[in-house]
Amino acid sequence: MLNVGVIIKLEPDFSEGNVSYNSDGTLNRAETKNILGPHSAVACNAAFYCKVKYGAQISIGTMGPPIAETALRQAQVLTNAEELNLYSDRLFAGADTLATAEVLKNGVGKMFGGGIIDIVFSGHRASDGETGQTGPQTAWKLGYTFLGNVIEFNIDSDRKVVIAKRLISLQGMDTIIEEVESPLPVFITIDPSYRSIYNTVSQRLLLNKFRKEGRKRSEDYRQFLKVYTSKNLDLDPKRVGLQGSPTIVYRVEKIPRARTNRKTEIIDPSNPNNIMPLITKIIQLARGK
Amino acid sequence: MEQFDAVIIGGGTAGLSALKKLSDLNKSAILIEAGNQMGTKNVSGGILYSKRDPSTTIYNVEDVFGSDFVSSAPIERLIKKYYLHATSKSKIFTLDLTPLHEYKTNFGYSVLLNRLVPWLAERASESAEKHGGGIITGVHVSDIQWIDDKTIVTTNELEEFQAKAIIAADGVNSEVAELTAARHKFTPEELYFGVKVIIKLPERIIEERFNLDSSEGSAHLFAGDITSNLIGGGFLYTNRETLSLGAVYHYDSLLSNPITPSQLINQLIENSLISEYIKDEVPLRNDIKDLPKEDQLKIHLSASKLMKTYDELRYKYFSKNSKELVESGKFTNIEEIRTKIDSIKKDLIEKYGVQFVNNYVELEYSAKLIPDGKRCRMKKPFYRNILFIGDAAGRGIFIGPKIEGLNVGIDDAVRASIAISRSLENSNFGSDYMGKYYESLINESPYTNDMKKIDKDYLTLFLDIVRNISTGFIDPRYSFVLNLMKNSGFRGIAVGLANILGYDKILPIVESKNTYIQLPISLANRLGNIFTSSYVPAIPTLSERIAKLQYNDDTDSHIIVKNKKSEFMKKLVLLCPTKCYSSEEGEVILQHEGCVECGTCSFETDWKHPKGEKGIIYRYG
Repeated sequence: MLNVGVIIKLEPDFSEGNVSYNSDGTLNRAETKNILGPHSAVACNAAFYCKVKYGAQISIGTMGPPIAETALRQAQVLTNAEELNLYSDRLFAGADTLATAEVLKNGVGKMFGGGIIDIVFSGHRASDGETGQTGPQTAWKLGYTFLGNVIEFNIDSDRKVVIAKRLISLQGMDTIIEEVESPLPVFITIDPSYRSIYNTVSQRLLLNKFRKEGRKRSEDYRQFLKVYTSKNLDLDPKRVGLQGSPTIVYRVEKIPRARTNRKTEIIDPSNPNNIMPLITKIIQLARGK
Repeated sequence: MEQFDAVIIGGGTAGLSALKKLSDLNKSAILIEAGNQMGTKNVSGGILYSKRDPSTTIYNVEDVFGSDFVSSAPIERLIKKYYLHATSKSKIFTLDLTPLHEYKTNFGYSVLLNRLVPWLAERASESAEKHGGGIITGVHVSDIQWIDDKTIVTTNELEEFQAKAIIAADGVNSEVAELTAARHKFTPEELYFGVKVIIKLPERIIEERFNLDSSEGSAHLFAGDITSNLIGGGFLYTNRETLSLGAVYHYDSLLSNPITPSQLINQLIENSLISEYIKDEVPLRNDIKDLPKEDQLKIHLSASKLMKTYDELRYKYFSKNSKELVESGKFTNIEEIRTKIDSIKKDLIEKYGVQFVNNYVELEYSAKLIPDGKRCRMKKPFYRNILFIGDAAGRGIFIGPKIEGLNVGIDDAVRASIAISRSLENSNFGSDYMGKYYESLINESPYTNDMKKIDKDYLTLFLDIVRNISTGFIDPRYSFVLNLMKNSGFRGIAVGLANILGYDKILPIVESKNTYIQLPISLANRLGNIFTSSYVPAIPTLSERIAKLQYNDDTDSHIIVKNKKSEFMKKLVLLCPTKCYSSEEGEVILQHEGCVECGTCSFETDWKHPKGEKGIIYRYG
């Protein structure tokens, strides 16, 4: 049986009608709804693909306050996970990515009673952090092969390898797709453009069955939930939370707006006479003039 | 290649009924639906009827989905009153047609298909899964081929698979019918064109305004000057906390004098009675222009959040479930909710410059073609091992105020399922065995009879209702006939004669401008009461209506225009409900983005449903 782990994060919901700001323009976290992060959701989809296609069992882990249960619950809807793990301890507060990775490493080690996890998935980055470091650092700590920006993957169960496509975009160069093969276990961060493809009727029927089961399981998600503290994760308090974080944020500065060289002209769309010249201009641009 | 016993194409009410029934007959069936989620491609008027006929069997929704249908399904309101309003400017004359609505009826519920269909799907798939079947969404069937003794189904999304028997439930624009040439493409003469908007209104306001008991509803038909001198009419059905307001026209009548469908809705809204029916107190934002862009955005977002809270709380307050807010401990009593709503309103006015005005709120604009079963029902509703049901088989009932479609599709579905089940048991899927048997079952359906013949008892009821209307002022030909028809002896002879002549000959006389337009206008002018509207509704533009719709655009067009210069195509510049066609230098240009897949242009185009998950995503339907 293929064992799959997913690392997820509870993030603020930045959609209109849900987000709230303080008068100084910073995010009002208390008033803003929290949801399973969009990148975490993509990682969940990839794990679910393993369940439908390869019969994998899934364990989800997240580090956060008790409220992060919400994210685990939403992730269970998406994955029909067998196991939900919350790594929650006051000691974890103020963690940077490295200290978070330390917790997650031990968390992954506890999944399925400490069995080998063949693939660990995580999102590309968090919508409220944007550093994209936690995944690779956890992989490094686990000693797993790390595959980033994965857009497609297949598993050869006989050979125990994963064949994956990675999307590589470098500034000033063409975006390329790299195909790689790696022995299991691997740690995969999933590119936001990833889409699971189920192309037989049987797979689709199975997908429905698992989805339904996932929704049902999530109604009673606490039955699947295990809560870990630093103690039962066997963590060294010096390597977690603020203490374990080498990053020191000593000042936050507003990013200065770059000076633009382009000329802007504001066109009033309510006056139809303004539209034709605009179209002419667009056509000229399209023709490369 | 994977193989399946029964494959149903199309996940509307008919297709789902087939899936449920086949599964209950212990057969394995799969249903293929193109929409990403169930119900997102479905539109109806709509009232879902359950009918009875002592002389024969009718398969109703509750027979298929369980006797708890009424108590468990997300249906809207039990329609207890059925009115016809004749309109002439501000004058309205109302006829109570409730006896016609109740004729052979167990119940008629207003429904929103995007709510109902997922529930039906849940029930159907639960049964189907017991037999290895189920529902597959986001898949578009693009071809069916017969190779040797195998039936192979091709889709845009999945590997090919085999089917022993197929039910085509893919609606009025059935691609299965087109692929197999099982029937001709419906002509404009055989179709109705329907356009609808969903209007938001709190639950208890609906009940007060329409004088309804909780959970009960009313239906209102409109005829007269609201139709721009074309053959058609309007309807307004009360849902739980929305109204369905729509117009249905003979498609050929629209073609003879094209008009933008959005305008058909506007004409209804401009009617004083309707504008009062849909009225609500609506928040109106003021533009903030004198602040920096960033501050404007922050104010905009904060106001959005507050308006959302206001709206949710207000709707909850005016709903049956308002007590839940107290029970949950959020509020100590109902009055406190009212106070909270008022204080949010005050904040919106004072802090964010929001105004509260009389207007109405549109949620969704939709359009659909409807088959006129009298003219276009498939006489032979099968092809090889494919059985056609519901709209795909052209089976809709439109006889005066008798408007039925959903129930017909459900009844068809059961009959098709019985035929397929028998074939699976005897391993014979030949058209003579399965198709012919289905045809015989369909012909036993009282609905088929409704599409063939005038029902004397129904007509009697109608004449009883109009008995007391003075006929002195209507066209002498009609008053003469009406007066004669009041005599029961003559009525028997007349109906007998009419049925000998058949609908083909009778319909052009009955479905005329005189009956649809002149008669109601005269009635309203002579006998109507004056209604005035207390406000001028701010009607959204078509662009605004389209902007509210949700799409998953496909880069490839699902429509190919065959003749860019044809007279028919030129009319579509006006007739396409979402203005997908424009005209340039005598040629018609198609822009398929924004298409609501009604099929209005399908008569002269190469028209396919969009690929799986693509296209319109209705949220009410």
